[in-house]
Amino acid sequence: MISGALLTAVLPLQADDFFVTKIEPLLKSRCYECHSHASSKMKGGLALDSRSGWETGGDTGPTVVPGKPEESLLMKVVRWTDDDHQMPPKEQLPTEEIALLEQWIKLGAVDPRIAPAKADGDWWSLRPLNKPVVPVGPVHPLDAFILARVQTAGLAPNSPADRRTLVRRLYYDLHGLPPAPDEVEAFVKNEDPLAYEKLVDQLLASPRYGERWARHWLDTIHFADTHGFEHDDLRPHAWRFRDYVIDSLNRDTTWDRFIREQIAADVFFPEETHLTAALGYLGAGTYDSSAAATAPTSYEYLDRDDLVTQTMASFVSTTANCARCHAHKFDPITQEDYFALQAVFAGIGKGDISYQADPTAAQQFKKMRDLQNAIERQDPEVLLSPENDALVIAAEQAPAVAWERMFPEILVANDGSTLERKPDLTVLASGTLPDKETYLITATTKLADVTALRLDLLTDDSLPEHGPGRAGNGNLHLSEFQVQIFRPGATKAEPAPIRRAVADFDQTGYDITKAIDGDLKSSWAIHPVVGVPHHGLFEFTTPLHLEPDTKLVITLRQLQGGSHLIGKFGISATSTPPDKLIALPAEAGKISLIPRAERTPDQKMLLASAVLRQKAANEIARLPAPAQVWAAGSAATNERGLVAIPEPRTIRLLKRGDLAKPADEIGPGALSAITALKPRFELANSKNEASRRAALANWLADPANSLTWRSIVNRVWHYHFGKGLCDTPSDFGRMGGVPSHPELIDWLAVWFRDDAQGSLKALHKLIVTSATYRQSSEAHENALAADPENRLLWRMNRSRLDADSIRDSIFSISGKLDLTMGGPSIAHFTSKPGPQTTPILNYENFDWDSPGASRRSIYRLVWRAIADPFMETLDFPDMGMLSPVRGFSASALQSLALFNNDYLLKYCEHFAARLDQSGKSPEAKIQTAFLLAYQRPATAEEVIDFTMLATQQGFPSVCRVLFNSNEFLFLD
Amino acid sequence: MTPISRRNFLWHTGGGITGVALSQMLAREAMASTPTPRPEFNGGLHHPAKVKRVIQLFMNGGVSQMDTFDYKPELERLNGQMIGPKEKPEGQTGPAGAVMKSPFEFKQYGQSGRWVSSVFPQQAKWVDEMAFLMAMTTKTSVHGPGSYMMNTGFVLPGFPCMGSWISYGLGSLSDNLPTFVVLPDVRGLPYNQKGNFSSGFLPSRHQGTIINSGSPQPVPDLFADPRHTFASKEGDQAAMSLLQKMNRQHAAMHPEDTRLEARIASYELAAKMQLSAPEAFDISRESAATRTAYGLDAPITEDFGRRCLLARRLIERGSRVVQVWSGPQGAVNNWDNHGNIPDELPPIATSVDLPIAGLLGDLKSRGLLEDTLVIFTTEFGRTPFAQGSVGRDHNGNSFVTWMVGAGIKAGTAYGRSDDLGFKAVEGITYCYDLHATILHLMGIDHEQLTFRTAGVDRRLTDVHGHVVKEILS
Repeated sequence: MISGALLTAVLPLQADDFFVTKIEPLLKSRCYECHSHASSKMKGGLALDSRSGWETGGDTGPTVVPGKPEESLLMKVVRWTDDDHQMPPKEQLPTEEIALLEQWIKLGAVDPRIAPAKADGDWWSLRPLNKPVVPVGPVHPLDAFILARVQTAGLAPNSPADRRTLVRRLYYDLHGLPPAPDEVEAFVKNEDPLAYEKLVDQLLASPRYGERWARHWLDTIHFADTHGFEHDDLRPHAWRFRDYVIDSLNRDTTWDRFIREQIAADVFFPEETHLTAALGYLGAGTYDSSAAATAPTSYEYLDRDDLVTQTMASFVSTTANCARCHAHKFDPITQEDYFALQAVFAGIGKGDISYQADPTAAQQFKKMRDLQNAIERQDPEVLLSPENDALVIAAEQAPAVAWERMFPEILVANDGSTLERKPDLTVLASGTLPDKETYLITATTKLADVTALRLDLLTDDSLPEHGPGRAGNGNLHLSEFQVQIFRPGATKAEPAPIRRAVADFDQTGYDITKAIDGDLKSSWAIHPVVGVPHHGLFEFTTPLHLEPDTKLVITLRQLQGGSHLIGKFGISATSTPPDKLIALPAEAGKISLIPRAERTPDQKMLLASAVLRQKAANEIARLPAPAQVWAAGSAATNERGLVAIPEPRTIRLLKRGDLAKPADEIGPGALSAITALKPRFELANSKNEASRRAALANWLADPANSLTWRSIVNRVWHYHFGKGLCDTPSDFGRMGGVPSHPELIDWLAVWFRDDAQGSLKALHKLIVTSATYRQSSEAHENALAADPENRLLWRMNRSRLDADSIRDSIFSISGKLDLTMGGPSIAHFTSKPGPQTTPILNYENFDWDSPGASRRSIYRLVWRAIADPFMETLDFPDMGMLSPVRGFSASALQSLALFNNDYLLKYCEHFAARLDQSGKSPEAKIQTAFLLAYQRPATAEEVIDFTMLATQQGFPSVCRVLFNSNEFLFLD
Repeated sequence: MTPISRRNFLWHTGGGITGVALSQMLAREAMASTPTPRPEFNGGLHHPAKVKRVIQLFMNGGVSQMDTFDYKPELERLNGQMIGPKEKPEGQTGPAGAVMKSPFEFKQYGQSGRWVSSVFPQQAKWVDEMAFLMAMTTKTSVHGPGSYMMNTGFVLPGFPCMGSWISYGLGSLSDNLPTFVVLPDVRGLPYNQKGNFSSGFLPSRHQGTIINSGSPQPVPDLFADPRHTFASKEGDQAAMSLLQKMNRQHAAMHPEDTRLEARIASYELAAKMQLSAPEAFDISRESAATRTAYGLDAPITEDFGRRCLLARRLIERGSRVVQVWSGPQGAVNNWDNHGNIPDELPPIATSVDLPIAGLLGDLKSRGLLEDTLVIFTTEFGRTPFAQGSVGRDHNGNSFVTWMVGAGIKAGTAYGRSDDLGFKAVEGITYCYDLHATILHLMGIDHEQLTFRTAGVDRRLTDVHGHVVKEILS
C-alpha cells in the first residue's frame, strides 16, 4: 500500500482511478443494498451511488468532509464509534476497507461519478429541443418514425383497421361517444378518398370534442367540485372552470396561451374578464378548510405544495414535489428550485373570485369604478373633463322629475310610536320614543306605472334639532327599506325588489345602499347635516305595473337603537324612466341655479361630484350580477369570508421540508435544470404576487422550455393510443418511463410548437390521420413475442372505454343522451344535511329520469371524497390525486355494478323502448341493437341467441347483455 | 403473418387459464410486478406470515389517552395550573387551558397491571392479551390530515390506505367476499368521508368496499332492484349465460388480451359473491349468547356490536381486512370531545367497550386469534390541558394504540408519554411503525411492497417505518 504522503501527490486522474478501482466497488458491495437508487432504498435519506448523494448526505447531514476523515460521519459509522449509527449494521467492515475509505477522504474524496442530479444534456426530457430528421419512408412523418423502428425489429405494421372499427375508434377517441348507425353506414360506404380526413375535421369541429378532451385535462390536474378533506364541502362555482376548459378546447386555444390563461389570465388578458374562469386551475385541488382555520402555517405550506405539484406535473411532467424534503433523488431538481416554486404561489389562497364575465360590462364596471375613485380623490381632470361635464349639463337640463305624493292610508308603528297623517300627506311621529322601531305604511298612488319611490325626510319644529330624526341630535337610521305589493283581491303580498338607492346626503359609513342590502345591522343615516330635509330614491328592479286599488306596503325598519327614528316623512312615486333619477344634495341643487359661467371651481366640483357619484352608482347597479369561480387569488372568498393576502408570504427553504427548520429566504423561480431559461425570476416588484405567477407562466410557455412541448405532445399521444411514447405522461424524470421513440417526441414537440403554432386540433389531426393510428389492433404471434407491450406500435392498442365514455354511451345508445352544454354541475345523488358541513349523499335512490340526469358525464358533480360507486368501480380516479392515466380494473364489484346497478338497468329499459319504437320484428330489433351498441350487424347465431333471450326475458335483458359485454366495453 | 390461435397463446404464456385461480387472474393488472403471495411463507410475500386477516377498530375524532389507557397521576397534582403552551399550537382549536385531571377512576388490571380507566371496564379484562403502543405520535392535530395519515401514511389525500395496500400485496383469501371491507358508523362517515378508504393510485379493485350495515343490500348492487322485472333470478341466469358466451367468443378472437379473461372471471366471482354474501351478512344466524356478548341487546352498544360481529363473520369467511369505525364526523357522537370529557366520553366509550370485548372473546373461542390481528386506534390524542372548563383539544403529540392477536406479545406496552400525557417521549411510534409492524406480521417487508406512481416507488410507510419488535412474540 502506498503511503499517505505519496497519495496526496497523485494526479487527479490517478485519484479517479483510485475511486473507480477501490472505493466504488467497496461502496457497491457494502452500502448500495440500503443506500442506492438501484435498490430503491435510501435509508436515512442517504444515497451513495452518486457524488451528490454523499455531499448532501441523509437525515444526519453530509456524510463526508473531503480531506477530513476525522470529521466525516462516514468514518464514525464504519468504525462503529457513532452512538446512533453503526454501518454496515450487521458486521463491521474489514480493517483494510476502513483504511481505504480513510485514505480516499484524506485525498479529498475525489468522486468522478456523474451525479444523477445534473442539468440538461444527460437526460432526454431536459435536452434542448431540436427537430430530428424524419426517417426515409412513408409520407406521413409519424409513420416514418414508427415504421423505421418496427422494421428494425424485423416486424411489419398491421394492415389498416376495417372502416367500421375505424369510425368507432375515431368517434370514441375524439368525442367519447359511439357513432350512430347511419353515421357508420355513411362512412363505410363513402368512396371519397378524403372521407376519413373530412370526418376528422367534422369531429374536431363539434363541441363534443371539447367535452371529451376536457375530462382528460381535469383528470390531469385533479379538478373536482368539492374540497375533499375533513369538510368535503361543495364549491358551487367550480364548474365555470370546467366550462372554460371545454370552451378553450373547442376554440382551439393555443397551448402557450392556455398555460398563460390558467396561471395568470388576470395579468396577461385583463380586458378579457371572462378568462377569470381560467384561474380555476389554481383552485382545482383539495382544500382543507379545517386546517386553514386551526393550523394556518402548515395548511398554507401543504396547499402551496399541492399547487406546485399540480403545475409541474401537468405542464412539464416533472415531480418537483419530490424535492420538498431534500434535493430530488433522481432528477436535477434542487430544494431551492422547489421552494422557488412555492414562492410563486406565496401570495394566493383558494376561494371564489368574482368577475364580470361580459367584457363590455366589465369595461363599464371598470370605468365607473375609476370615476368613483376620481370623485374620492376630487380629481378635477376627470370630474371636469368634457365627457363628464356633458353628463353634468345633461343632468341639469333634464326635465324635473314628476313626483306624486302617495296617500298614506294605514299607518302602523310596531313599537309604540304615534304616527299621524298630515293634510299635505306627510307623516309625523310623536309620543312614545322606543329604542328601535318599524313603521309599516300602506299607501296608494294614482300612477299605473311606478319606477321608483322617493322618501322625503322632513324637518319639523316638534323634533330635536328640527329633525328630521327623533334622536337627540336630529339623526335617524334607516336599517332597511322594503316594499310589498297587495294587488286587488290578492291574499298574498308580492315583494317589489329594489335595485338601487341614492340619497342627497349620506353620513360617512352609513350610505343609503345600506338600507337595501338585506343586512339589518347596517343602515342609512344623515348626521351631521341635520335640521334640513333630506331625501332618498329607491329604484325598483323592474318597474311596477299597478292596477287600480293596488296598495303598496312600505316597511321602514329602524333597528340601530338609541331611538334613531324618523321624525317626519313623506313618500312619493314616479313613472320617470329610472336612469333619469338622481338625488342631488340641496347645495348642489342651489349651485345649478347659478349660471355656469359664474360658478366657482369649488362649486363646479361639488356639483360634478354629486351628479357623477349618482351616475356611477346607477350604472353599476344596472350591470349584470357578477359571476364567480372557485380559484385562488390574493383575495378570494371562502368559508372564512373574504381572505386577502396583502403581500406574498416570505418563503424560506425548509431543511428536510420541516417547518421547524427554516433556512434562507427564496425568491420566486422555477427549475434550474432548464438551462436555456433563467431559473429565478427577476421581477420589477416582487411584492406583486400576480407578477410571480405571470413569470412562471412565461417560463412554462417559453419556446425554449423543452419539457413543456414534450409534455403536451406525449400527453395527447397517450390519450390517442392508450399509452404515451413515454408511458408516464406526468413524469419525465428518471423514475418515469423511458420513451420508446424519443426522436419522435422531439419531432412532434417542435412541429407542435412551430408548425402547428400550439394548435391541439392540428396535433390531433396529424396523429389520427397516420397509418399507425389507423392500423388494426390484431395481435400476431411473432410480434407479440418480440414486443409484447407493443411499444413499437406495430398494432393499435386495444383499450377499455373509460367510465365517462361508458356512461355517456349508455345514454346515447338508449336514445336518452341530453346534449345540453355548460352550467352548474349535475348531481347524480340525493343529499341531506350531515352532522357538519359535509352532506350525506345517497347515490342509490337517485331518479335517473330526472331532468339533466342523462347529460354528459363531464357535467357530473364530482364529489371528491364521496365518489360515485358506479364510476369508481370503472376506474374513475380518486380526485384527491393527479391522474394522468386511467387505470384498468376488473373486479366482482365492477361486474355487480354493471349487471345490477339501477342506473344501468333503467337505461336497458330505455334502450328496449327505443327498439320497440322501431316497431320491427324481434330479429330486426336485435340487428338495430347491435348496430347501436357494437356498430356492426349481428351474426346469424347471435340473432338466434338474442331472440331467444328476448322472448324469454324481454328486450331489456338483451340490452343488459350488450352493455355488460367486452365487445361494447373495449375499443379496437 | 397470421393471427395467433388461442391455444398457441396459452402455450406461450406457459399454461391454461384453468390452472390459474380466478382471483389471481384478476390480480394480473396492467402491472408487470404485481406481488405474489408465497405458500412457503404461509401466504406472506417476503417472510413467513403470522397474521392472515386484520380487524381494525378506528375511533374517529381522537381518543383522549389520559382518560382511557394512559394513566397520569401527575395530572391530579397539577390540576388547575396554567402550564400549557402560551400560544395556541397548530391544529388546536383553542388556546391551552389549565391542566385537567381525568374525571375517571383508574385501576390496574391483570397480571400485566395495566392501568385502565373506568370508561373501559370490559376491555380492561383483556389487557393481558393486548400489546400497547403508549407513545404514538403524528404530524398534525387536524382531523383531515390526521385521519389520512393514520390510514394512508400521508397527510394529504390521494394515497392508498393500509387495507388497499394489503389487498394489493396479498390479494383475497377467498372468492366469496370483498377482500377489504369498511363498516362505517351508521350515523355517518368519518372525517375525510370515503377518502380514508381510498385505493389512491393502486388499481381501484383494492379500495375498501363500504358496507352499509343498516341497508337490506349490504354489498352494493349485489342484486338488482326488483322493480326491474327482467332482472329476476331466472332473468339473471339467462342474461349471464349469454353474456359469458359472448365474452368467451370475443376473448377467443383476442387471446393475448388477459383483461378480457379477467372480466369474464370477475362475473364468475360476482356470482359466487351473490351466493355467499347474504349468508355472511345475516347475523340472525348467531346464537342469543353471541348476540348478547357483542352488546346487540342494548341500544347503546347495538350498532358497534353488530358491526364487530359482522367483522368476525366476514374475516371468518374470507375477507382479508375489515375496518370498523366508531363515530361519524361532527360535534357529537364521536371521540372529538372538545366540550365536556365527563359527559361526552362515557357514552361513546361504552358504545364500543362491550362489543370489543365480545369480539375478542368470540375470536379467541373460535381459534381465529391464531391468525387474526385486532387493532384499536384513532387519528390523534387529546390535550392534558382543558379546553373550556372540562373539554380537551386535539393533540397529535401522543396517543395510544393497542393490538391483540397472532404474533403479538401479550400483556406488553411499548413507549411512554411525559408525565402529563402531552408528548410522547420514549419509544415513540408513528403510523409508519404501526403499519410496518402490521405488514411484517402479514409476511410483508414494508420497504419492499411498492407501487411506482408519479415518479416515486410509493410505500405505505413513505420513507420511514420500523417494525416494533418489542411488542412481537
